[in-house]
Amino acid sequence: MNVVVIGLSHHSSPVELRERFAFAETKIPEALKSLRNLGFAEAVILSTCNRVEIYAATTQEPAATFAELKQFLARWSETAGKPEAGSSRCDDRTAQRAVPTNIGNELYTLAEPQSLQHLFKVACGLDSMVLGETEILGQLKQAYALAQQHGHTGARLNKAFQRAFHVAKHVRTHTSIQRGSVSVASAAVELAEKIFNSLQDREVLVIGAGDTSEKTARALRSRGARSIIVASRSHERAAALANELGGRAVPFDDWAAEFEKIDIVISSTSAPHHILDRAKLEPLMKARKQRPLLLIDIAVPRDIDPAVNFLENVYLYNIDDLQAIADDYLKQRQDEIARCEAIIAEKVKTLLETKNLQPRTSTEGHGLNAAPAKL
Amino acid sequence: MAWFTDRHFFLLAVAVYGLSTVYSVFLWRKGFRKDDHVNYLLLLAAFVLHTVAMVRRGFSINHCPVNNLFEATVFIAWSAAAAYLVIGLLPKLRFLGAFASPVLFAIGVFALMPELDPPHGPTPQFTGALTSLHAATILLAYGAFGLGAAAAGMFLTEQHDLKFHKLRAVLSLLPPIQRLEIVTGRLVLAGFILFTIGLEAGRYLPRAADASYWSDPKVIWSAFMWLVYLALLVSRLALAQSSRRFAYGVIAAFIFLLLTFWGTNLLSPLHQPLHHP
Repeated sequence: MNVVVIGLSHHSSPVELRERFAFAETKIPEALKSLRNLGFAEAVILSTCNRVEIYAATTQEPAATFAELKQFLARWSETAGKPEAGSSRCDDRTAQRAVPTNIGNELYTLAEPQSLQHLFKVACGLDSMVLGETEILGQLKQAYALAQQHGHTGARLNKAFQRAFHVAKHVRTHTSIQRGSVSVASAAVELAEKIFNSLQDREVLVIGAGDTSEKTARALRSRGARSIIVASRSHERAAALANELGGRAVPFDDWAAEFEKIDIVISSTSAPHHILDRAKLEPLMKARKQRPLLLIDIAVPRDIDPAVNFLENVYLYNIDDLQAIADDYLKQRQDEIARCEAIIAEKVKTLLETKNLQPRTSTEGHGLNAAPAKL
Repeated sequence: MAWFTDRHFFLLAVAVYGLSTVYSVFLWRKGFRKDDHVNYLLLLAAFVLHTVAMVRRGFSINHCPVNNLFEATVFIAWSAAAAYLVIGLLPKLRFLGAFASPVLFAIGVFALMPELDPPHGPTPQFTGALTSLHAATILLAYGAFGLGAAAAGMFLTEQHDLKFHKLRAVLSLLPPIQRLEIVTGRLVLAGFILFTIGLEAGRYLPRAADASYWSDPKVIWSAFMWLVYLALLVSRLALAQSSRRFAYGVIAAFIFLLLTFWGTNLLSPLHQPLHHP
């Protein structure tokens, strides 16, 4: 029995095409049942924002298998194209997408050993849009659990998926593929963690409620920042954001009055000039008793005069500085790809060797939901 | 093995401190990115040799080995190494070893100068529990000041990197600067308390009837050092002195202590009774 995979991802197709094939989560058990009726006793469907993939174990020749799976995808997308009450993990409109007129070369088809290598790479985040991200592993586990729960996995897929999860853990522990922040918001959080002993009890002031500042504030909040104060020219927007982040809004002209308490400032106003300069900050720092202050200026043009960085205990970072941190981490992750691939190749080889050593039995292919082999 | 004396053990310990210093340079150049245990283990190995040297010396004189400058200097380095090995159990503070090993190596090389370790007479020059308490607490205090200076060096390095947006500030595994600031302050405070206890114990030590206490160079120097560290702590804790200046102060005070410790000891009749009959 061989593991095969058919699918499309952000590498091979645009979102307009991917959304046509996306499976609503509630419809996956039904789709798996259809696959079983076609003779695919073992199958897992992974449907996320960036990929739609079917993993199946089959005794058929790969060419015939792929032809059948392509037809299944085409038929399924036509059926699912009708408006229905299905939920999607990415977009609620998925169920109302247009019916595809044809399936082009965007679909990739892989047989062993490439299919297993692909599965392991997906689990490790090597095939993700954000290299090394971990969300995909959770989604893969969820997809596998769903298939297993409905009795659509057997000895072959159980072993392949369990091994994929094991490899993902191994790669995370032994390489730097998941290390560091590759977004501006997470780079800002990491920076704050290099300055403050702990982010617990830190107060954050958000000046101007832009998208990146919101993400940064949210990331700080998730790491334990005590409260978020939002000051925006639009008080309604400030209040909405503050409410969302569990903080409070203050009038834009009063933000300086908050300096005595706060530790981190995220500024992203559309002001054409500096809203904070050295002359203004110097007395504020005295009032703060020289406690460290992290200033994150993500506005263009910049909100904060670069000269404030010369003040004691003030750390100023602008959007380029944060992007440089994120880029460097990304480069580090890219440098780790070869190591990860070597680990994956080794693990696939071991898995296939184990498979070849196992005697074929008459029950092969019918051992659905058999306990996963010890890895 | 009788020819292999405590000094040989200490020499080996200093060699391992030296190895750790060289390794620390590599860690520095690599930007402290990997939390490896090599440096910690090197310092642990050096500490074991160091301890063996001190124990052997202690048994050979049947007394706490703090009777001459060699023994005193060895004790300072030992207390700093011991403090590091405890602090280094916290992964985030393990890199403190990279800053401590050059200090330990320098102190070790200094201690090995033959003039610092003249042969003992038939009996140790100093005996008694109070003398041991006096010497041990003061030398432990110096060890804490030394490790505080290493933490201050680490703080200044990281603060400089953060200020000037060096990527290694974020990419390294060094602890947050605020934690280093806290560690430095606590080490100096601990050292200051030990120093105070040691000096207080010294006041009650028996001395020759004609020996003057307050005119002894070492006593004056010790009182001066006590005031220096008191000023550093007051400026930091009560006057909110900037952390950068505090760190510079801690480093400068320890360098001054190291440079003048030997000289004032030689000039002191109270601490060199055989040379000042």
